[in-house]
Amino acid sequence: MIAAVSHIDLQTVTYALAAVGLPLVGAVINLLLPGRSGKLSGWISTLAVLLSAALASLVFGRVWNHDALHVQQLWFTIGNTPVNAGVLLNNLSVFMLLLVTVIALPVHLYSTAYIKPEEQNRYFTYLSFFCFSMLALVLVDSMVLLYAFWELVGFSSYLLIGFWFMRDSAVQANKKAFIMNRIGDIGLLSAIIILFTQYHTFDLVQLFGANGLIFKSTIQNGMWIASTGQLPEVWQYVAFAGIFLAVAAKSAQFPLHTWLPDAMEGPTSVSALIHAATMVAAGVFLLGRVYPMFNDVELNVLAIIGCFTAFLAATIALTQNDLKRILAYSTISQLGYMIMAMGINAYASSLFHLATHAFFKCLLFLCAGVIIHEVHHIKEEHQLDIDAQDINNMGGLRKKMPLTFIATLIGCLALVGLPFTSGYLSKDGILIQAFEWAEGKALWFKIIPVGIFITSGITAFYVARLIFKVFFGDLKLKEILPNVNLHISDGSWSFRIPLIFLSICSLFPLFSFNPFSYEHAWLFEGFKAGNYIGGQSIYHQFIPISISVLSVLIAYWAFAVYLKQRKLVLSPDTFLFKLSYNQWYIDAFYKQVIVKAILLLSHALYWFDRTVIDGFIQLLQQITLFLSGLAAWTDRYLVDGALNLITLLVKGIGNFFRGFQSGRVQYYLFSMLAAVLAVFIIKLLI
Amino acid sequence: MVTIMFYLMAVIALGSALYVAGSSNLVRSVFMFFITLFALAGLYVLSLADFVAVTQVVVYVGGILVLILFAFMLSGRENLEGAKQEQNRLLSVSKLPAILLAVAFFIVLTNIFLKARPDDGGWIRQAIAEQNVMTPKNISINSLGVNLMTNYLLPFEAISILLLMALVGSAHLSRKEDTA
Amino acid sequence: MIITLTHYLLVSAGLFSIGIYIVLSKQNSIQVLIGVEMMLNAAILNLVAFGKFDKVNNAGQTFALFAIVLAAASTAVALAIVLNVYRRHQTIDPGKINQLKD
Repeated sequence: MIAAVSHIDLQTVTYALAAVGLPLVGAVINLLLPGRSGKLSGWISTLAVLLSAALASLVFGRVWNHDALHVQQLWFTIGNTPVNAGVLLNNLSVFMLLLVTVIALPVHLYSTAYIKPEEQNRYFTYLSFFCFSMLALVLVDSMVLLYAFWELVGFSSYLLIGFWFMRDSAVQANKKAFIMNRIGDIGLLSAIIILFTQYHTFDLVQLFGANGLIFKSTIQNGMWIASTGQLPEVWQYVAFAGIFLAVAAKSAQFPLHTWLPDAMEGPTSVSALIHAATMVAAGVFLLGRVYPMFNDVELNVLAIIGCFTAFLAATIALTQNDLKRILAYSTISQLGYMIMAMGINAYASSLFHLATHAFFKCLLFLCAGVIIHEVHHIKEEHQLDIDAQDINNMGGLRKKMPLTFIATLIGCLALVGLPFTSGYLSKDGILIQAFEWAEGKALWFKIIPVGIFITSGITAFYVARLIFKVFFGDLKLKEILPNVNLHISDGSWSFRIPLIFLSICSLFPLFSFNPFSYEHAWLFEGFKAGNYIGGQSIYHQFIPISISVLSVLIAYWAFAVYLKQRKLVLSPDTFLFKLSYNQWYIDAFYKQVIVKAILLLSHALYWFDRTVIDGFIQLLQQITLFLSGLAAWTDRYLVDGALNLITLLVKGIGNFFRGFQSGRVQYYLFSMLAAVLAVFIIKLLI
Repeated sequence: MVTIMFYLMAVIALGSALYVAGSSNLVRSVFMFFITLFALAGLYVLSLADFVAVTQVVVYVGGILVLILFAFMLSGRENLEGAKQEQNRLLSVSKLPAILLAVAFFIVLTNIFLKARPDDGGWIRQAIAEQNVMTPKNISINSLGVNLMTNYLLPFEAISILLLMALVGSAHLSRKEDTA
Repeated sequence: MIITLTHYLLVSAGLFSIGIYIVLSKQNSIQVLIGVEMMLNAAILNLVAFGKFDKVNNAGQTFALFAIVLAAASTAVALAIVLNVYRRHQTIDPGKINQLKD
């Protein structure tokens, strides 16, 4: 049943569906093109995304801060339950729609130059398919469809991480990513099933809307009571656990975060789009969708996990040498910020940070891609045996790649959250709200804001370390090739335009006309709760100033350490350094405990299958062979034997009587006469 | 008188026949057969068939036995020597079936004769009644000759043809082979 | 005692049996021939014995004559055969000439 909608609304919905469908068309066209089409497939996909972005902005303009549009149709019926498929266009949906398409556009442009032409066909098929899945994910209105596109997004990520499948490390990475995502999918599916059992519907509006079923349900006396039924209270927590697993898997939170650093095996443009800006944000998006169902305890859990993950990832990023891995851990850390923000009831700030993070993280990854591209050229040209992504091989690139330097600098400033950048608005908003949230609660709750504060300091350090090691100082490659003139530049216009565009977006004017107050950002105003009272506590002034000052001091400290060669903070032999360098040994722990256990189980099952089941079949086989041997013996000796016996008997009798034909005349005569005599005797006697 | 002659002839015949049977030497058996045949001729005479007796002596003894004698005497020594190497025992096991059979035959035949009692029954009595019995005073040869030419002419001619055939046959059978 | 027909028949029976014995048990073909002759003679004696009682037709004696003649002819042919057998098998032992066996 289609709800009664006006003409304009129907058009909007059509535009939204077209925005979703265009990348799919691009993917199908690229699929059908022969492999040697090269750059053509790139332009097709880019065109599709461009149109999609245009449509998305149109839809955004019509729906933002207006009434939500919800259109659905009956998909199928099972028993008494109808399952509908439809589109929900509210603030969250159109915001994500616009964000994804706008981020995808520079990435597509960049990819046309970054990926080799002979691989572009396959690459753009996958990338367009990903865009389609992600856009569909944000628009659907039913939990079932949400799950379907959630899985498709994970699948596209798998395809793209393992794009260069000839490398074994890439194959291992995409397997790991897919399996961890699967764990999350199990959680999501369980949560959907539990919600359906309780509320008998999959529809997002019915469940989580303003007058939704969730709002009308309560927990009393250990029972979870809703208008459509009741369950024991524990199921509500199980559903939360399922959602949390899904979010942790997709958004790389502890304990399911280890796949994201390995996912850097994929092309850098993929890392920029998927693993920085969009897919990993899907977890936060899911939280945004199902936000009404969480109670205080669950929100606290989210806050704790988010804060811990942010801290964990930041400490690891301090000692990494691979450029992309530093950025990956930075992503995990910032996602932790977003999850924590959801946990402390800063719903609007969380989504605001999602948007700003998307821009500056994508920018940082694209810059990293340019740098790696250039170093890789040198490596291939001079046949060196170096890791093109190792920051220890770089240095002093500021003069050779000025545009990249400026773009990276802007992105890093936004990441740290210094004023005049968009990051300042979103990040400080989270910090302030964290302190406000801990106000009036027990002392334990203060750990969260303090932890986040410290993490921001650590963020400043590793960001500064990155900048100083890559762009300042002397080019380490010159020590390997002293006599060669190393040619490094900014790259073609396909590289420069996306960088310029994203740099502009990372500055404050896109989001707010007031560079210092986050509350006036239009994004924040679109999402804030109805009962939000802003600008009250002293935290609003204290926190931004203190964090900015602290960040600058820490940056100077990093400058001193890395450029002036003063003593390092921790030598590589200390325990803390090792802990950080080895990612807190979490990955090693998983490998030893979980992976080994599962491999052991699989070996055991294999042994069982081989020995017991096949053994049983072998036993049957032996029995059959034995029986057949027995039958053969019986046939040969008993049946044939009986026959042989008869023939022997006949032969014996024949031979016996043959003896009478001895050929001797006198014997013949004798027998004749004996016969005659016998006749006579008989005649006589009778 | 006749009785004594009969018993004498009978004993001589049977005795020589037994000797023939018992001897493994061919020459001796042939010559004893002579004697048997003579004794038989004597018995024929006693049975008032004098022509038959003479024919017997002439044809049988003088023809057949002489033929046999010539046949084996002209055929070489191997036969004689082969005959000497056999067992001369009269009662050997290999001859037992033959003895048994001969005795059995004798018993059966005797039984038949004794039971049938030809003297008393049938056409013998009738022949005696009609005086159809040969007497010593008859000259049998006259009637023999007449009967041979009238009553038994067909068998007579047939026998002559048979003799011819036998002659030709035996001559052909005993011809010398061209190849050795 | 008067010599009756039966006496003659007994003698003939004896001769016949002896003739059978000779035929069955001798290992020399010519002795076998003699046995056959003896059997024939026994039969002829029988004929002659009965021939006493037929003065008119002389059937007995005539038949005896014919029998003697036939015996002679058969003996002649038999001897020729024995000669051939001797040429072929180099022996006249009837027990050794057994090529008609199975």
